[in-house]
Amino acid sequence: MSVAGQVVGGGIGDILVRQQSGSRLEVGDLLVSEEENSILILEVFGLQYGSQIDGRVQEMMSGVILEEGPPDAEFYEPNFVNYVMARVKALARVNRDLSVNLPKSLPAFFGKLRIISSEDLKFLQGGGRDRIFIGYIRSGSKVIRDAKVWLDARDIFTHHLLIPATTGRGKSNLVKCILYHLLDSSGVGALVLDAHNEYYGLNGEVGLSSHPDARNSLVYYTPTDPPPGSRHLTISLDTIRPDHFEGIVEFSDAQVRTMRKYYSDYRGEWISQIMLTDLSMLGEAESRRDAETRSITMAVLQQKIRQALDLEVDREQNVVVSRHNVFDSVRGGRTADEVVRNIEEGRVVVLDTSKLNDQAELVVGSIIATRILDHYREAKTRGVLRDKPVATIVIEEAPRVIGEEVLQSRTNNIYSTIAREGRKFKVGLTAVTQLSSVIPKAILANMNTKIILGNEMKMERMALIESASQDLSEDDRTIASLDRGEAIITSIFVPFALPIQIPHFEEMAQQRPPPASGTTRVKVF
Amino acid sequence: MKFAHLADVHLGFQKQEPLQEMERRIFEGVVDRCIAEGVDFVLVCGDLFHVNIPDMRVQKIAMKKFRDMHDAGIPVYAVYGSHDFSPTSSSAIDLLEAAGYLNKVTVPSDDGDLIRLNYVQDKNTGARLAGFSGLKAGRDVEYYERLDREYLESADGFRIFLFHGAVGEMLQDEISGESLPLSYMPRGLDYYAGGHLHTFRNRSFSGYENVVYPGTLFAGQTADMEENARGRGRGFVMVDFGDRVERVRFVEAPGCRYEMVDVDADGLASEEAAARIRSMVDSIDPTGKVVILKAYGELGSGRTADIDFSAIRKGLLQGGAYHVMIHRRGLTSKEYKTRGESTGTREEIERRTFQDSIANVRIKRADLTGHRGVDLSTKLLATLRHPRPDNEKKADYERRVTADATSKMGLE
Ligand SMILES: Nc1ncnc2c1ncn2[C@@H]1O[C@H](COP(=O)(O)OP(=O)(O)OP(=O)(O)O)[C@@H](O)[C@H]1O
Ligand SMILES: [Mg+2]
Ligand SMILES: [Mn+2]
Repeated sequence: MSVAGQVVGGGIGDILVRQQSGSRLEVGDLLVSEEENSILILEVFGLQYGSQIDGRVQEMMSGVILEEGPPDAEFYEPNFVNYVMARVKALARVNRDLSVNLPKSLPAFFGKLRIISSEDLKFLQGGGRDRIFIGYIRSGSKVIRDAKVWLDARDIFTHHLLIPATTGRGKSNLVKCILYHLLDSSGVGALVLDAHNEYYGLNGEVGLSSHPDARNSLVYYTPTDPPPGSRHLTISLDTIRPDHFEGIVEFSDAQVRTMRKYYSDYRGEWISQIMLTDLSMLGEAESRRDAETRSITMAVLQQKIRQALDLEVDREQNVVVSRHNVFDSVRGGRTADEVVRNIEEGRVVVLDTSKLNDQAELVVGSIIATRILDHYREAKTRGVLRDKPVATIVIEEAPRVIGEEVLQSRTNNIYSTIAREGRKFKVGLTAVTQLSSVIPKAILANMNTKIILGNEMKMERMALIESASQDLSEDDRTIASLDRGEAIITSIFVPFALPIQIPHFEEMAQQRPPPASGTTRVKVF
Repeated sequence: MKFAHLADVHLGFQKQEPLQEMERRIFEGVVDRCIAEGVDFVLVCGDLFHVNIPDMRVQKIAMKKFRDMHDAGIPVYAVYGSHDFSPTSSSAIDLLEAAGYLNKVTVPSDDGDLIRLNYVQDKNTGARLAGFSGLKAGRDVEYYERLDREYLESADGFRIFLFHGAVGEMLQDEISGESLPLSYMPRGLDYYAGGHLHTFRNRSFSGYENVVYPGTLFAGQTADMEENARGRGRGFVMVDFGDRVERVRFVEAPGCRYEMVDVDADGLASEEAAARIRSMVDSIDPTGKVVILKAYGELGSGRTADIDFSAIRKGLLQGGAYHVMIHRRGLTSKEYKTRGESTGTREEIERRTFQDSIANVRIKRADLTGHRGVDLSTKLLATLRHPRPDNEKKADYERRVTADATSKMGLE
């Protein structure tokens, strides 16, 4: 055993360890204390100097050496006299049978600690059918390749997943890695609103489409020129209901009433009817004032819907057209159904929403998420929810829908409903965000798995630490210093906050064989 | 120049004589019309026949009309559909091909991983045709996965792609199931001739102009008849073209006249339901029409067997109906379900369930109905309820249970 240090003092949560000279401890390093029937895993959260020599004397000596001293002046037994002290906290006790407890006792006084090895992390191993690989255990900046973290996908996605980080720290890379592994599992279906069109992998780039089973388990929708095997993201206007705008576009009461009226009069035609209404024809045989108010309401409503969905009115043909091809008055009648069905069959459905504006993207997600939640609610009533895979909605910049401000100023939207009560129905959110502090505490605390990437903003770190499933109060600095791809998983499904290194997607995907092709001949009739 | 595009004729679907007659008439009428209009060629995009080898009567009808087209100098180009193809046995389509009345357009050449489809060129118009047949259960995806699209896209001239399958982008009222994305097909061709979806539709997408399904000519599944009765027009598609498609029009094929009698009997007593059906039936003029009587709902009391459907059918036919179809599967009775509370021993509950069920069976055999029927059922259940013990072979078990059951039914 190569000794890294020795316990010399402190107490629960802040144990003092003297570093063995030559072992260069880092913040975040994982240490192990071997005890009778278990091992104790500890983590370094602080480093400081220690010395046998009194402070004033040190300074004086330094002066002598710097100003007067011969170049080779040295302390007598320098390692003995001056050293590094590590502040460590116990993370977990792993018993012989690989069960894990929270540590309630201290390691033996003067006990020796060593650097962790993959052997010690055996309790994490094993990828079952619905388990997904998140990353490798990391000790400081050293990656322990043999210690892989696999989590139960059904658990983590039912209970919502939060991926917070400032820009460029690897959120998208992580989401891609997670989705890639989800393609192996039929226990979880995902709706991915891909605002940057960065997941599928177009033009020969490595992406989710590189997965060997992509043909069966990945469905990709894009508005124009879908690559072979993928689909047109065209949604018929008649799939949209007034409530799909709820909490996404702000409407006045009068506008909402008008929408409902049109919906009940014209059903699937309601949006076209509103858009095609000629304002001057409104309110004949009414008092002028009424007619005026109605026509103002209608004008504003038309404008809001036009903006939200990027619609245009073709006056000559008297039809409503969409600028990005996504909404259509004729085509795409089954698209939403298809998406929902695929998710309920455990597939990953990626929608390229890069050409849509914010509101349109959220409305599209809303149409589908609403249906899924409805179906799952109904399945629960009928007692068949068990047969369904977990469904998760992956959304970037989550505060757009679960931010404090939106939730206060508008009615609930489907995403916040899912965040609050989706768990009961096996529907969860996978929220990607740069800002966690603007998400209400109640929602944040309900997101039971957080994969925290680097974040230099104090306020963001505080929000995460306060809502974490483990005590991260000493990890503020650690989170601030996480490099690209380095993360901490805190979750009710892990025994302690796990420091991990997330793989680089391209490398990971390239290690797997490409989609099988041409190995078996098909007979063509 | 123009061509006709047919699909889902489902010859041989109809099981009742008057409807078989109608099926024949409609098909013959359409072929005659194609000949009369002088089309340059005809496309048949799958499910010409309802099964791969229909009976002789049906084959004769097809032979005759395809010969007519042949004699009129009209080439026919076809792919198999999901119904008239079998991977293990032959198909009546092959017969038509052997006779020289029809050309299959799926002409693959083996090119390693990719499937290269060669165009078949129509001699008179120069149009090029290629396509895939439809396989059951989405198995044709494998074809499309490997299709050498570039090859088909690079050819010039007027190009048509024939296929049989549900394209996701073309779905409208169907319940969503497995479907093929349009992106699997070669881009930029002039016409995409589809089969499989049974109602007419015609749409264009970027890169895919004129994706068309003509729908069935008459019916290929029970629901089609009901849709006909509700006013759905059936027919085929006529396409005018030069260098490009000029016009696509749906040509309705005259079919039967229909009368739909839709009876919601939910909550009614069986006598009330019977009375309602009678009065609704009395209010229509069935002369020369196909009458579809659809009864559904859960009766509030009484049994479904109390409603004499055969008398209703007889009445309608006497009134001059061309044909009567009765759909009563959606009609249930409370009493049939069970008698509610499950009190008593298991044997008592089982007996009661048999009594209730047998009361709904309309057969006149004393040994199978009444208490004797219940006795027999109970005895049979006693034999059949035990699963195979671990130490018994499957074959032995089957033999023993069968022997036991037949002896109890007195059939040895
Ligand atoms: N685990 C990793 N290992 C190696 N490189 C990584 C890792 N994660 C991310 N990167 C690289 O870092 C860069 C930024 O990553 P990514 O796009 O995932 O960040 P992001 O947090 O999504 O940023 P943004 O806020 O701009 O969306 C990319 O070039 C990516 O390839
Ligand atoms: Mg990103
Ligand atoms: Mn068919």
